[in-house]
Amino acid sequence: MFRKHTRRAAKAAFAISLGVALLIGLTAGSGLAAAKAKPTVVVGTKNFTEEYILGQLYGQALAAKGYTVKYAGSIGSSELADTAITSGKINFYPEYTGVLALDIAKLKNAPKSASATYAAAKTFEETRKLTLLAATPFYDTDTVTVLKTTADKYGLKAIGDLKKVPSFSYAGFPECATRATCLLGLKNTYGLKQTKFVPLASVSVYTLLDQGKVTGGDGFSTDPEQASGKYVALADTKHIFGFQNVAPVLTQELAQAGGSDLASVVNAVSSKLTLAAMQAMNKAVAVDKKTPQAVAAAFLKANGLG
Amino acid sequence: MIPVLGGSGPVIPSFGSGSSCEQNNGWWCTDWLREHWGDTLQPALVQHIELVAIAIAAGFLIASVLAIAGFRYRLLDVPVGGFADFLYTIPSIALFQLLVPFTGLTVLTVEIALTSYTLFVLYRNMVAGLRGVPEDALEAARGMGLTRVQTFFRVELPLASPAVLAGLRIATVSTVSIATVAAFVVPKGLGEPIFIGLDQNLFKTEILAAGGLAILLALAADVALAWFARAVTPWSRA
Amino acid sequence: MSVLADQFTAHTFVDAFRFIGDNASLMLSKTGQTCELAFAALGIALALALPLGLWLGHRHRGLFLALGVSTLGRALPIIVLIAFGLTVLGVGFWNNTAALVVLGIPPILTNAYFAVDGADRDAVEAARGMGLTERQVLLRIELPLGLPLIVAGVRISAVFVIASATIAAIAGGGGLGDIIVNQASYGLAGVIAGSLCVSAVALLTALALGLVHRAVSRSTTARA
Repeated sequence: MFRKHTRRAAKAAFAISLGVALLIGLTAGSGLAAAKAKPTVVVGTKNFTEEYILGQLYGQALAAKGYTVKYAGSIGSSELADTAITSGKINFYPEYTGVLALDIAKLKNAPKSASATYAAAKTFEETRKLTLLAATPFYDTDTVTVLKTTADKYGLKAIGDLKKVPSFSYAGFPECATRATCLLGLKNTYGLKQTKFVPLASVSVYTLLDQGKVTGGDGFSTDPEQASGKYVALADTKHIFGFQNVAPVLTQELAQAGGSDLASVVNAVSSKLTLAAMQAMNKAVAVDKKTPQAVAAAFLKANGLG
Repeated sequence: MIPVLGGSGPVIPSFGSGSSCEQNNGWWCTDWLREHWGDTLQPALVQHIELVAIAIAAGFLIASVLAIAGFRYRLLDVPVGGFADFLYTIPSIALFQLLVPFTGLTVLTVEIALTSYTLFVLYRNMVAGLRGVPEDALEAARGMGLTRVQTFFRVELPLASPAVLAGLRIATVSTVSIATVAAFVVPKGLGEPIFIGLDQNLFKTEILAAGGLAILLALAADVALAWFARAVTPWSRA
Repeated sequence: MSVLADQFTAHTFVDAFRFIGDNASLMLSKTGQTCELAFAALGIALALALPLGLWLGHRHRGLFLALGVSTLGRALPIIVLIAFGLTVLGVGFWNNTAALVVLGIPPILTNAYFAVDGADRDAVEAARGMGLTERQVLLRIELPLGLPLIVAGVRISAVFVIASATIAAIAGGGGLGDIIVNQASYGLAGVIAGSLCVSAVALLTALALGLVHRAVSRSTTARA
């Protein structure tokens, strides 16, 4: 009923697809098993430009000193990065000290200085088999950023002035909704109860500001857009955004395995991360469209760390 | 206390400035494409092909086993088919997250989710193809004295293969598309440059280039599989 | 309150249902937003694709278009559509609706085309012989004959649009996606709860369309 060659063709087709399937399965399997010899650093980052650069800076500096470095990539919010490190899916990520103290540890009384914030964050992390290395000189806080035209129109200088704005809307990362250093602070500390929050998971808040879809947005103080003159970050007179220097969070297991050598490699990088340096690197990525890898490599090389 | 980090200030090298097109988030910056084909787009494309190929291969194997079972034992068809339908209704962006606790931030997480989505189309098409084998063909096979297994391989499978291959085409094209969402969890594939473009105040060139590659890859896979199907099932040519 | 993602157990599933109970009003309003977005998109997709598919099928023309649209539709990644819409339409309801319309059209168009194109030619010729107008031929003969395939297309489209609507949340689209992309605030239980609600909406919609199909096909066969 079938000509012979067609039957053979069908069988061949089946055999080929089966073979291909098996082959792919095998190569995938062998790729998963990687050799482990030295303490492996599994670097995670949060999900925005500055974190991508920080991840590459620490990762490449460690790799240059012979550590095996794996990049888990962009994990998401601090809450998820925290889950990832406490459950052992990563063992190293750069975090902001204020976020640790206020949003992860959820301290009731906000620390009053950068060093108090760092101390509180470190104390908290050490109760959970984690630790911090030294903090960076630069800090990067959340802001309430508005278009300059909006600020001029309503005479806005500080966050408290927003009461003058009818129907204030604020865009930010989804987790902003439940953070004291974000929407909760605006509502409870500044009394902006009517704020309409627009959560954005991947889209830049500047896109929404430009399109006039929101009045304010959660821009970061080191974003290159802040220097463009097009936007104004309102003064945080009640300090809801806290003190936000970066400190690498790592597991105590990794800290012990790496010892002082690992600490000195990482601290050497942190010590060079001034506000000017971080702004320049953020601009190189966000505006000039260089990759975080290339920018980090150039910075490490110029500072003898790569 | 913050440990005081001594030493001199940093040297801030020149990172090179972007073209005016790049700085203004242009629609199609050829200089960006030239500079970042090698370090961004090409690796993402290769990763994407790997993600899809593994998911399709795994999905094909699993669906084959399920379909043969569902075809032989009709009682199984309702729960198995229903489960495949249910998997298909789970939003991809949720399924990728749900798997992280089990399989971590790894490619395996992506593969399990993508494989799950292929089952809906592959299983349904395989069963429909096997069911669609005309009774007189089976009659003839029995008349020729073929065993059950022989009937399956010589009659049912060849007659069902056009439907199976059609399902394979649909599943492959859909998987290429859905795999872009995987970058929400694991930074692999063509979704990664798209998410980065979104984060960088909508860098259109990067989004269009990576998205365009995903679309082209899907269409190329469709054409290649269509060609493959014609080559191996010449009797189905209308 | 955060459910650590490494503690995913049967308990997390129980928590997901508890989450729905504890946040009933939130879940209801988010489900409402998702339905609004998905059904608006589905309605527009139907209004555009169904007449076109039926007409092309009736004229037995545009096979290439019908096939091409279905393949292209599957090939277009939702996040690319949303990102592209962001640049043209800006953030908001219409951007996300437009993206979902584009995704919703192909299955409806393709199935409508093949449903009508494949209608029994003898029946169609007989109807013409009885003096029915082209419009009557389409509506009274071809449409009822092709109905199962047409409804199947709408079902596929509906499930796909509802599940994809959650991704709109990355661009401020609201709905259940807000919960699903915000594991940080709602925990894994919230993500599961949100995704269960999406599945429920999708399956109920598919079920409802199945019932509509059965009712309609019964009434048409009764008339015939």
